[in-house]
Amino acid sequence: MSSEQSDNQIRILLVDDDPAEHILLQRKLKSAEDGCIDLDYVSDIGSAVDVVKAGGVDMIFLDNRLVPNNDFRETAPQLRGAGFIGPIGIISSDISGRYFEQFRDYGVDFKIGKDEIDGTVINFIINEYTQDQLSETCSEDYM
Amino acid sequence: MLVTETVLHLGPELERAVNRMDFFRLFKSLAGSHRFAHFGLSEILAEEQGLNLQHVHALHNFPLAWFDDPKQQVIDSDDPVFVYLQQSSAPCVKDTSENRSAVLTAGGSRSVAIVPLHAATGKRYGLIMVGEARDLDHQSLALLALDAALIFQRYFEVILSLDSISGLSDREIQIVRWTSEGKTSAEIAIILGLSEHTVNSYIAAVLRKLHVVNRAQMVASAIRSGLIT
Repeated sequence: MSSEQSDNQIRILLVDDDPAEHILLQRKLKSAEDGCIDLDYVSDIGSAVDVVKAGGVDMIFLDNRLVPNNDFRETAPQLRGAGFIGPIGIISSDISGRYFEQFRDYGVDFKIGKDEIDGTVINFIINEYTQDQLSETCSEDYM
Repeated sequence: MLVTETVLHLGPELERAVNRMDFFRLFKSLAGSHRFAHFGLSEILAEEQGLNLQHVHALHNFPLAWFDDPKQQVIDSDDPVFVYLQQSSAPCVKDTSENRSAVLTAGGSRSVAIVPLHAATGKRYGLIMVGEARDLDHQSLALLALDAALIFQRYFEVILSLDSISGLSDREIQIVRWTSEGKTSAEIAIILGLSEHTVNSYIAAVLRKLHVVNRAQMVASAIRSGLIT
């Protein structure tokens, strides 16, 4: 999580070439219990890389197909290449393609259908991907 | 949207489930297809602990407001839902108004489906689904329990059974090796093109497999056992 923000504030970057998805996701975020979510939006992967390089992004929701790019196999590695080490979730209206099976090989943390997203899903994602999974005895100070 | 009947019986989404998020989606979809808005899955541990929904392998979408202590997220040991899970191996549907469950009453839901589950290792788990499906008939309950068992079996194969496997995967060995070089999780994430969360997930899995508690012990154990040189 970014040290530039307060402990509870989470900054999510939505990368989607359809601006309507930004509005829809904003509405869904309001139904989540965790009200400390800032949602930023860009419509292409180049802009996303710029935002990531500027820092402060905790998590990325990446649309699977960004025109004119191909699917996440082309776009997610660009975000990792820019040094982003936060969670990346692929969101798509159709995640049934067999290539989704390889999502972890491309630095992606999770996949989810756009129509599956609701407040409870967002709560789960925030809890799952922003909380420390390792105990204090496993902090890097112990190395 | 996942369509449970298609998904589970034809198998593709079930076969493609590889992480906790995928299983969260599958259980949520199963619950939704039977008009249950919320679900919770956790291991049934000692009686005095109740059903701990913050257990390492627990999954749930219960609102935090339902719990007396949102930081603990426990269904108490004297809650009728937990008592049923302890005493029965058969699925059932109960009316929450007659059930006096503190957590479920707080949610204002009308009914709860309780599905006891067993892992192949003998560990017992409980799946609870909460919502409006008061009139779930025998056949629907049987189908729900079957689907729950199919998802749970896959969850066991993909996630739960890893704890009892002694060997490390190639990726886990790779991460132990980088840790032995003094790299932090963030640095390993950059090197391997992963998220820090994923790297920490691998480290947490290795700690469980090697029965160690920190990174130094992990590296020492891996060297002693010849996993890395």
